[in-house]
Amino acid sequence: MGYYEIMLIIRPDVEADGHQEVLEDLKAAITKEGGDVSTILDWRKRRLAYEINKHKEGHYYLVYFSGQGTIIPEIEHYFRVTDAVIRYMVVSVEEKDFNAAAEKAAEAASAAEAQAEKQEEAAAAEETAAVEEPEVEIVPEVDEEPEAEGQTEVTEVAEKVEGQAEVEAADEVQTDSKVDE
Amino acid sequence: MRRDRGRKPKKKICSYCVDKIESVDYKQYEKLKRFVTERGKVLPRRISGNCARHQRQLTRAIKKARIMALLPFTSE
Repeated sequence: MGYYEIMLIIRPDVEADGHQEVLEDLKAAITKEGGDVSTILDWRKRRLAYEINKHKEGHYYLVYFSGQGTIIPEIEHYFRVTDAVIRYMVVSVEEKDFNAAAEKAAEAASAAEAQAEKQEEAAAAEETAAVEEPEVEIVPEVDEEPEAEGQTEVTEVAEKVEGQAEVEAADEVQTDSKVDE
Repeated sequence: MRRDRGRKPKKKICSYCVDKIESVDYKQYEKLKRFVTERGKVLPRRISGNCARHQRQLTRAIKKARIMALLPFTSE
């Protein structure tokens, strides 16, 4: 059993549905022969270094799979008969690179999720920011007014509490807290 | 005693060894760009300073990248 990496370029004028179709067909072809597709990385649309069949751009995909080497002729046959694929290359990779790619894909997926969450939070924070802002503005005023020691201690504690709250808020939405400060 | 022929030998530094990269990856074509001339030819070892092992891997990586249109076979 070996570990392989396929890089393929899909014609730029093919819609997203077409991409999925190619990838699904490819997956089916690999699994039919007893292979196992581990990762698919979307390299997005890129400018080609030179024209291929008059195309100046192409949508790149990386597919990692493990299985018998006899699968490769099958895949190559599929690519040759498929119109949407303008270039492909199957390369054997070492196991650690193979796993690294899988990890990278998992990371990218979780990062995308986190980013989506962050965006949601940021949007939510923006909404609440309008409410929070007056509170933040009051803090410096409190700092300046009290001159008695007892009072400053109280405000210090208050500051600490608020500071912690700010830190917590900062953890959630870093960019927003900077603006507040 | 070093024979001085008017030019100091340039210190060879293999950037892949410096970065402790085991194998050269054809997918990192932005990095490979540093090792090709403006016309797209592979930069010789005497200029790039790569070690023999990595230079061999590099030429193969560049050739793979060319096939996948990540690097040009020739420009201009």
